[in-house]
Amino acid sequence: MRRVLNVIRLQMINRQTFIWVPLIILAGATLLSVLIYAMIPVETPKYGGGGQAPLWYFFAIGISAMSLTFPFSQAMSITRREFFLGTMLTAVLASTFLGVVFLIGGGIEIATNGWGVNGYVFYLPWMWEAGALGAWTVYFTLALFLFVVGFTGATIYKSWGVTVLTIVWIALALVLVGLVFLVTRLNMWIEVGHTIGNLGALGLALWGLLLTAIFMAVSFIAFRRTIP
Amino acid sequence: MTAVIEVKNLTKRYKDTYALNNISLEVEGGMIYGLLGRNGAGKTTLMSILTAQNFASSGDVKVFGETPYENARVLSRVCFVRESQKYPDDAYPHHAFKAASLFFENWDQDFADRLITDFQLPMKQRIKKLSRGQLSAVGVIIGLAARAEITFFDEPYLGLDAVARQIFYDRLIEDYAEHRRTVILSSHLIDEVANLIERVIVIDHGKILLHEETDTLRDRAVTVVGDAARVDAWAAGRDVLHRETLGRVASVTALGALTATERAGLHDSGLDLAPVSLQQLIVRLTQTKGTPTHEEVR
Repeated sequence: MRRVLNVIRLQMINRQTFIWVPLIILAGATLLSVLIYAMIPVETPKYGGGGQAPLWYFFAIGISAMSLTFPFSQAMSITRREFFLGTMLTAVLASTFLGVVFLIGGGIEIATNGWGVNGYVFYLPWMWEAGALGAWTVYFTLALFLFVVGFTGATIYKSWGVTVLTIVWIALALVLVGLVFLVTRLNMWIEVGHTIGNLGALGLALWGLLLTAIFMAVSFIAFRRTIP
Repeated sequence: MTAVIEVKNLTKRYKDTYALNNISLEVEGGMIYGLLGRNGAGKTTLMSILTAQNFASSGDVKVFGETPYENARVLSRVCFVRESQKYPDDAYPHHAFKAASLFFENWDQDFADRLITDFQLPMKQRIKKLSRGQLSAVGVIIGLAARAEITFFDEPYLGLDAVARQIFYDRLIEDYAEHRRTVILSSHLIDEVANLIERVIVIDHGKILLHEETDTLRDRAVTVVGDAARVDAWAAGRDVLHRETLGRVASVTALGALTATERAGLHDSGLDLAPVSLQQLIVRLTQTKGTPTHEEVR
């Protein structure tokens, strides 16, 4: 266990990666959004998706945790299991942190009436439907999910090469298209719309957590035989 | 002395080529080994399988009597920094050393600091911006200061200049004298490491060709120096490995040990014995029929 915790410390040695860069990206995206909101002359609240910027960065650090930090961890004589657990725990911690920052952002927006210009980056009504904890869960899940997808993709790439990775992406896309086809064919779009509406952002996030767990499991199986 | 590494019938196959072909090997603790062989001979593959970084196609590997794969008990006692070692994105050298201090129990920070000064490693540059030699220095510093019970160095000198290489050899020997451990040093600069290594393991085309003490190996041949005509007379009928002349002086290395009488005879005829070049000896001993050396190919 001590060695797993040390993997977290290893991942966090350079705090820039998991903490400062996401914060800088988020601050930059917020600043740009607010500046743009200030230029839009409407009275109604203005919403934007600038808050998603650091989430995509989590996809990139998922890739780099696998392709660069993993080979380094091997030189540190860390077992694959220790590295995997420690890295996933690091991602959970970083996503938790990002979720909290998101809540703080939302709090500021409520307090300042949308930065004084009635514009919102964090306090998006749909995400906050289920309250602050719900909003946190949604943001946490998105960050963790993107990290795990990046990590899994990089693992598949390392283990089996670019061809297999491409095939996996195409297969996943085919599954999605297949679902769309089925729903269309069965004329079920209204039901699907209702279900998604009823689930709300929080419900979707919980399903997302399940999906994340599945990706993690797949990734671990592939990762156990990966060569740095 | 007990074996710290035991390898039985180890094979690593990539499609239809064998990186390692049914090798068996025992490594005793507390010695410096030279793992010698040409590029692509299987040196790195062997070391990565011993440290569970890579996987065997078949065969059995035991380190400290246990399988190393996913075995923290074994792995925490070994250190293997690759020749093409990767580091976390945006990491500075001090990040790498900090990480090493977390995972290697015997890590000596003072020693690491001295090595940083010795190698003049720039600490304010990201690792990915370092030159090839500086990158090698990072790996060498981790390998030395970790003081792992088994330390693997995979051609650690790449990109290092002669001065830096000598610093590495000197520090290794000094520290080894104070902290006995098993060091396995892969190299193709045989003569440069010849005075460092106590045992030689020669690997070629995935097979172990030679595994013996450096001194015993050296005794397999003699180098005789002196007046060219006399040296040639002495060499007549012997299995000559190498011949060099400078003016009227010749130096001939030939296989076979000398008896005491032969030694005395040499002295009487005004000839001298010189140290045998390990490199020439190994090149000759490992040249299999029909496989040209690089030099011949060029």
